[in-house]
Order: sequence, then C-alpha cells, then structure tokens
Amino acid sequence: MSDINSGLMDRIQTISGNAFSTLVLDGAGPIAVEFMSYGCGYCRAIEPMLQEVAETLQSREQIFRINIEAEPELAASFEVQGTPTFIMFLNGREVGRVEGIHPTLSNVMAVVTAPFEARD
Amino acid sequence: MPNQINPTLLFDGGCAVCGHLAHWVQASALSKSGGTTIVVRPVGNDPAELRTLNPDLDIWDAYAKIHLLMPDGSMKIGGEAIAEVLRRLPATKWFAWCFAVDVFGVRPFQLMLNLAYTVLDDVRPIFGCGSCGATSSWVRPIATLMKWAGSGFGKGHTPIPTPHFTAFPLRPSSARASGSKAD
Repeated sequence: MSDINSGLMDRIQTISGNAFSTLVLDGAGPIAVEFMSYGCGYCRAIEPMLQEVAETLQSREQIFRINIEAEPELAASFEVQGTPTFIMFLNGREVGRVEGIHPTLSNVMAVVTAPFEARD
Repeated sequence: MPNQINPTLLFDGGCAVCGHLAHWVQASALSKSGGTTIVVRPVGNDPAELRTLNPDLDIWDAYAKIHLLMPDGSMKIGGEAIAEVLRRLPATKWFAWCFAVDVFGVRPFQLMLNLAYTVLDDVRPIFGCGSCGATSSWVRPIATLMKWAGSGFGKGHTPIPTPHFTAFPLRPSSARASGSKAD
C-alpha cells in the first residue's frame, strides 16, 4: 500500500461545500482547489505528485480537494465539466483554471503556482 | 459494517468491465439455499466509510486494484483476490484448488492468474471504463485502432478534447443548474 496515498499522510484537506466559503472564498492569499473524484483514474494518477507539491509549497499556498460526487452542487456552480479540474483563487477570486494535467511533478507544480506567479 | 462471515469484494463502480464481472460474481455467489458466499459492493466515494470496513483500506488503492476484504480482517489484492473469489464460488471452486499448487516455492497457476489480471487491468480502459485513467503504453495502439474503427462506423466513441481529463457526460443545462449528480 502506498504511504503517500495513506489517509494519515494526506497533506491535502478535503473540504465540504460549507467549508468552501470560509476557507476559499473568504480565504486570504493563493489557494488551489482540485475538483476531483476518487473514481477518476486521472485524479488517481496525479495524487502522489499533488501530495509532493503540497508539501513543497506548505505555507506559501493552500491546496484543497473537493469530491464532486459528494458536492455536485458546488461543482455545478463553478461549471466544472469533468475531473480533475483545478481552480486557483487569490483572495477569494478565481484567477486560473486548468482541466486535466499530464501527471508529472513539474506539470502539477506549474498548474497550481503559475496563475499566482503571473501576478507577482 | 464489515460482513463477519463472508468476504467482501470491492469493485470500481465506474468501470464497465469491473461492473460486469462483479455482477457475475454476485450472481454466481448465490447458493441453492439463497445465501451468498461473497458480498459484492462498489468502492464508492467516501474514504471514511471504507475505513469502517478495514482501517488499512485506502480508497485510492481500492480503485487501483481489486480488493477482497476477508472476515478475519485481512485483505487480498489483485490476482490473489480473484483466486480467493474463485475458491468460494460454487461453480468454480472445483478447479480453484490449482492456484494453491506450490512447486519449489512457486505457484505457477497463481502466477498465470496474476499475469492475466495485470493484462485485464491494463486493457479495461478500452472497454468503456470512465474511471481507469490513461491506458498503458502497450495498450495505446489498440485503443487508437478501436477509436478509429468506432469513428469509422460513426458510433460508440465520443472524442475527449482534453487529455488526462474525465469529462462528464453531456447533460441539459437545467440539470446542471439544479446540481444533479454526475453519473
């Protein structure tokens, strides 16, 4: 069993629709949200890289996960068309969106950081 | 709650191949008295719920490989899980003894079953699996050929514009607005 996928080692918080408002829309600084599903093979492929990116970025940027099967209304409200979809927020405002990521560490890192670097 | 008497077979509910096989196992597991020898259920989408079945069970792992949760709390994975299922099904237990045959520390039939499972695991994306992810490199030419053949006949295959992305099936905008669950 992969340690990086173990629940005890999970560095990405899965949030509900209620927590989304507080943590993301009212949150300060750069935040990346992955709209995903546990049954999505592509989400599974990028998960180890995303864990590594979350550890690298730590306090510089927050990364959250939203399970679209549990939160279909939230996914619909953001017009999420499939998984994985990354939406980047800066001070509660959407500043970037990427659908589908080639599963490499550099790609995942670029996706979750690029929208914020462009604003530095 | 975990079944205390019979093993529980977890399958990927988004994979058509897995669904057909699970349905077959479920039907075959019924005994003449109406009881069942194996409980079959999809992995689902709740990691916490899965951990109530077995604390060591990770939902990502459960989707990646077939898992059989044993009544004693252990887990069998992949080819080992399939061998155990075949041992418990009334219709297949007569030949499933062969997977335990040990020749100088090697179980040749189990090795063949493991290999067959690996091949099936690799090819399932080309048989209508919305949750299997990218196809393995050796399967890609076959998948491309099947897509080409499908498009030639004009049915069965919807082009996916974005790579590494599972697009939702097209739904009416009213259904999206009401937040209906994606299939």
